[in-house]
Amino acid sequence: MKRFDVKRLGRLLSELAVLLALYFLGCQLAAWWHLPIPGGVVGMALLLLAFALGWVKPSTLQLGAGALMAEMLLFFIPALMSLLDYGVIVRDDGWRILLVIGVSTLLVMVVTAFTLEAVCRWRVRYEV
Amino acid sequence: MKFELMPMFWLALTLGSYGFSRWLYRRTGRYLLSPLILVPAMLLAVAVPLHTAYAEYSRNTHWLMLVLGPVTVAFAVPIWQQRKLLARHWVALLLGMLAGSAASIASSFWLAKALSLDTALTMSLVPRSITTPFAMPLAQDLGGVPELTAVFVMFTGVFGALLGGILLKWLPLRSSLARGALFGIGAHGAGVSRAREVGSEEGSVAGLVMVLTGILNLFAAPLLNMVF
Repeated sequence: MKRFDVKRLGRLLSELAVLLALYFLGCQLAAWWHLPIPGGVVGMALLLLAFALGWVKPSTLQLGAGALMAEMLLFFIPALMSLLDYGVIVRDDGWRILLVIGVSTLLVMVVTAFTLEAVCRWRVRYEV
Repeated sequence: MKFELMPMFWLALTLGSYGFSRWLYRRTGRYLLSPLILVPAMLLAVAVPLHTAYAEYSRNTHWLMLVLGPVTVAFAVPIWQQRKLLARHWVALLLGMLAGSAASIASSFWLAKALSLDTALTMSLVPRSITTPFAMPLAQDLGGVPELTAVFVMFTGVFGALLGGILLKWLPLRSSLARGALFGIGAHGAGVSRAREVGSEEGSVAGLVMVLTGILNLFAAPLLNMVF
């Protein structure tokens, strides 16, 4: 087991604080400029810009960003519990919904994979 | 009703079952015990017999969903780290994501219509094939129910990760690009971890495709609003 590490925890918390601040900044900008995209995406664009300009190195945020992405599931679990209010939908439409999800997911995967495979083979043949 | 006395009960249960399930999955590696399946199952097993309403559950837990915003910001890190891969293959990846997204949106929409599901359900199904932090705002935009979309995204992830493994055996895919993208677009988070088991290149492609497809779909939202 990992030992409790105060330094690492402090670093993690400060990285999370930076990501949170970027998110709020993104939300503010999206509201000011009436952008049709969520604040999180604006914050992501700002961070990419900061990387491109060399203001921030990705490694300085890797711990916090990695933790957020690794535990992403925890953050949408509350939304999954909305099923509590949709018992009727589950009973009446459940199988139809699952059918849509199943067929559509199969199609998406096959179409994406074959498109990429075709482009890659075309590139190999013509050596673009 | 008696749980009103314990306002932190649902939060504690959510965090506790998540921690427990994560620990269990790391030890056993069994797909059915992954937090994606086990945590909602455990929570529902407690909440349904107690006749808990969603409002009651979410009173102290809804703030967890706000963290999805900073998660979106964090996606900048993998995009930047994979910029070489992106620079080399952006045409192929873009074409694959466009074709896949079009297939996803069109098939969800027409299948839902054919099975006569109502508009709110249909519009919650349409953004289903992208990762949750992008799918929820998109569902809101299209007139769906963001929470339902999150549920559909979860089912897509669970099913897609299983299906991807089977497809990989059957489809004649030579490029790691196609193998990775299949997981990233079809099964988002769950797919990315499966793709990492296939290979590191596949894992990187899957992660990149998952994030970029989300962004691509968000920018397509105004267009979709005109069509539907």
